[in-house]
Amino acid sequence: MKNVGKRTISLLVAVMVSLPFMGCNVARVTLNTTLTPESVAFIVPGKTTLTDVVTRLGAPDTITDADSGIVATYRFLDMKYSRVNFGWLAKPWTPVDPDLIFSRTGLGVDEFQVFCSPNWVVVQQGFQRSVTRPPFHPYPF
Amino acid sequence: MKVGHCVLGFVMAALLFQGCAFSRGTVGDDVKAEIVAAIQKGTTTKTEVVNLLGAPDRLLQLNGRDVFHYYRYDAKAGSLLLILLNFTRLSVKSDDVFIIVNRDGIVEEIISSKRTDNLSFRFWPFGE
Repeated sequence: MKNVGKRTISLLVAVMVSLPFMGCNVARVTLNTTLTPESVAFIVPGKTTLTDVVTRLGAPDTITDADSGIVATYRFLDMKYSRVNFGWLAKPWTPVDPDLIFSRTGLGVDEFQVFCSPNWVVVQQGFQRSVTRPPFHPYPF
Repeated sequence: MKVGHCVLGFVMAALLFQGCAFSRGTVGDDVKAEIVAAIQKGTTTKTEVVNLLGAPDRLLQLNGRDVFHYYRYDAKAGSLLLILLNFTRLSVKSDDVFIIVNRDGIVEEIISSKRTDNLSFRFWPFGE
């Protein structure tokens, strides 16, 4: 009798633990490596050259013309998506297929721009948005 | 007996990988490192660059200089579909080569990197 009680409690705990994960989808899309202020801290305007930047960060995604020289742009994306369908909780007890969906997507798009003089020396650098990393929770409110 | 082992191995592998999905997509041709290495600053001409790498994907103007941009994108997606709980991760990286040609038609600068070499299939969406 004692064993049956223990088993029931274990089963109940397992069900309680797995319930929040029912009908969950978690997805992530990354484009290139996300750059942080720490990863570009080596750049010293007036001293660092574009060659030094390329050696550390790789080739930029675009190089464009500007009045003062050249702009090299590194683009990156860290998109996070999560979705939970609470309708799954009712599925075993209803003949219909109910849905109660909470989902949230964080795009996390940013770019790092390096302004260089015509002789390839970095003049200025900066992030376009300085976005904080999007969260993974599906609560949309 | 050997056939039995093979079948058993196949069944075991199928069971182990069930619910897994692998997808891949690429855009552009692979830019070979040895071809890029053959291009020399100050000597290689615009015509030689086009002969080696073909026509550029994008042609830009930079303070009177021509910039030939060659790129390739590689995307790898891994999904773990556990019916109640699904994980998906898509990673996209690019290889870019910029060749800057001066007004005399001679290569002035080469900027290249190959990011797709360390691109792997990933399933776990959390962390880095």
